[in-house]
Amino acid sequence: MTTLDAAVPAAPPGHAAPGRGPVRFLGEARFFWRLLTRGAVLLMFTLGIYRFWLTTDVRRFLWSNTELSGDTFEYTGTAVELLLGFLIAIVLLVPLYTLFFVITLSAGPIGEMSSLLSFLMLVVLGNYAIYRARRYRLTRTIYRGVRFHQSGSAWHYALCAVLWWGLVILTLGLAYPFAQSQLERFKMRNTFFGDLPGRFEGTGWALFVRGILMWFLSIVPFMVGLIATLGAIDWDALAADGGSDDLSGWFDATGLSGAIVYGGFSVGWLVLSIVVFYPLFQAMVLRWWTSGLRFGEVRVTSHLRTAQIYGVYARFLWYALLFSLVVLVMVVLALFTVPSALKEEHSKLSEIIATAALLVTYLVAALGYSTIYQATVRLGLWRSVVESLDIAGGAALERVHAGGEASSPIGEGLADALNVGGM
Amino acid sequence: MTKSGHAIFFDGKTTARHDVTVELAPAELIIRDADRTVLAQWGYDDLETLSAPDSVLRVGKRGNPVLARLEVRDPELAAAIDEFSVPVDRSGRSERRMRRNIVIWTVVATASLLLVAVLGLPEIATRLAPLVPYSVERRLGEAIDAQTRAQLDDRRVGAAFECGSAETEQRGRAAFDKLMKQLEAAAAVRFPLRPAVIRRPEANAVALPGGRIYVFQGLIDKAERPDEVAGVIAHEIGHVANRDNTRSVLQGAGLSLLFGMLLGDFVGGGAVVIAATTILQTSYSRDVEAAADLYGVLLMTKIGGDPRALATILQRLDGGIHPGGIRILLDHPETQERVTKINAAAAPGPRRALLDDAEWSALKRICAGG
Repeated sequence: MTTLDAAVPAAPPGHAAPGRGPVRFLGEARFFWRLLTRGAVLLMFTLGIYRFWLTTDVRRFLWSNTELSGDTFEYTGTAVELLLGFLIAIVLLVPLYTLFFVITLSAGPIGEMSSLLSFLMLVVLGNYAIYRARRYRLTRTIYRGVRFHQSGSAWHYALCAVLWWGLVILTLGLAYPFAQSQLERFKMRNTFFGDLPGRFEGTGWALFVRGILMWFLSIVPFMVGLIATLGAIDWDALAADGGSDDLSGWFDATGLSGAIVYGGFSVGWLVLSIVVFYPLFQAMVLRWWTSGLRFGEVRVTSHLRTAQIYGVYARFLWYALLFSLVVLVMVVLALFTVPSALKEEHSKLSEIIATAALLVTYLVAALGYSTIYQATVRLGLWRSVVESLDIAGGAALERVHAGGEASSPIGEGLADALNVGGM
Repeated sequence: MTKSGHAIFFDGKTTARHDVTVELAPAELIIRDADRTVLAQWGYDDLETLSAPDSVLRVGKRGNPVLARLEVRDPELAAAIDEFSVPVDRSGRSERRMRRNIVIWTVVATASLLLVAVLGLPEIATRLAPLVPYSVERRLGEAIDAQTRAQLDDRRVGAAFECGSAETEQRGRAAFDKLMKQLEAAAAVRFPLRPAVIRRPEANAVALPGGRIYVFQGLIDKAERPDEVAGVIAHEIGHVANRDNTRSVLQGAGLSLLFGMLLGDFVGGGAVVIAATTILQTSYSRDVEAAADLYGVLLMTKIGGDPRALATILQRLDGGIHPGGIRILLDHPETQERVTKINAAAAPGPRRALLDDAEWSALKRICAGG
């Protein structure tokens, strides 16, 4: 059968003219906006329960509009599966939360360590969920009638991830490239498209070399500023003289005034460098990541341009600004009209109305920004990344045999309940 | 009506693309490759539409363990299949109907969830709180106490966190103890109170679970009569007696369970959850404060103090007295309302001085040693 299949042309007649690369994104932003806006309204009225349906719709849109060598991907997951996974996760998590609560109350060293202990457990569990959720998404991804799948122990992954992220924090981010490459290696080693095994060939050093200058420009000044801040404070003076009434004199004597200046500068620098460098950083990591992906003989290269990522965030900022203005006008109008109606009587009813108004304003704002983010950043990143890809050895994709089973959605549910859910 | 057309078929076993002819037979569609070999025969009622770009109709066989797919790009053929097959639903009408049902039921579920949160949870917590054994409450209090102390103690050298231990503060401590003794005897709370005056400049007082009450130095500084201090302490004893802290811990746990988990997080950071929880808890706390005020008034009347003194000091401090809830709404009127209610509840009765003048001036200097 395979010999016959190899004869099938890669791009049959009747197809639209190929874009720049073999991978194209066919979706229109218009439809995505509509889908997200409707979803946001429903999310508000269902206090978020609609998210299972929205997530599924979003994935269907992104997957089925991504075309590789003339064929589109397909997402076969359903909202009911996600809901079920979430309910199962709750059943598992409620006893755990109860346990944490009991531990907090118990005396002795266990009680004192309880917050650290529960934090660690949640971090491990979160990473476990991330890996299982990836398995769910992969096994719901179909291309040419064959599904992706993932093997490997999620606990093993969670342990590795926690150790690596601990190292990243200890080294102030220097270990980030190595953590990323090792974790991605773990994931891709266990990823399959049918019988085609995946692997990851990006190296930590390659990313390290590209990112080190950025690290020096952002983290180093911040750390120097932090050390200067701590050094400027006269700890003895601070400890000795706490009750002085002369505030400005006290600030000078303890060195706090200097410390505030240093601290302000270093935090300001960090924020500024994040704003300026983040798209650059993201473009760099995305390019490095996608260019390291391999499936059998299939090799991926990315031509993602940094300017595209800046453009994506600029669009987000522009829409967010417009939306902020609208919300501001609405709040000001509400402030002028509502309190005058409430002033006469401070009954329970007026209190409830005011509370509800506050909650609704908050929800509208939060959902609005989230919708704008999804429609600009998420779609923009997806489109830019997908269209930047070049595929070598794509012929191997023509003769892949099916393999793998659909996995349970518990991972997704757990990730959702733990708030670590991703794509 | 189109009876046949061209399409692409994936057999679900390999990724090979088959250019096929689809024939629409009366009961099923028949998929044949270029050699006229039949690749698949699918009954119309077994078909299911799968997600695809707008220009493509992608169908599979329902419940098929093999992921065989037929992709129709010819709009006429797609329309014909849609016509023949009931489950194939290109207009999305039945999908929309299903969605509408889901939305309606989730809205109903949300409403019932909110009702439980607003009406049910306080009731449950009120009934559960008295059942919590004192030993557990005390332990809870100690956990909270450690945090509270860490937050409040600004660690000045040469002065203890609690006032009344230094040589010059002994007389003030005695006066404070005398005041507390009268209040505690009249209150008859089931477990011992553990009050202390602490070195903090704010005019405030806090009650923790397990009977711990902190009176801030700032409050004693701002008070003009012993009855005002006693009134505030009586209010705090009300919190202890009503087990408000235990109840609010139970309520908080219930709320975060209800919302934190069910709401999930589409907007990031669980911010909605925090907002909803905060707002609901503030609304609970109104009633709780009112109950504690009433308790304070009764307690003050019992020991022969001035029940209106609490209102006087509340008015002077204008609402800044209780750190329990974060005040977001209608800050000012709340104090006014409390004052009105306190004054209305205060019954005239026999009055006596809770502390004599010497004791009162000693109490005013209870933190003088620091």
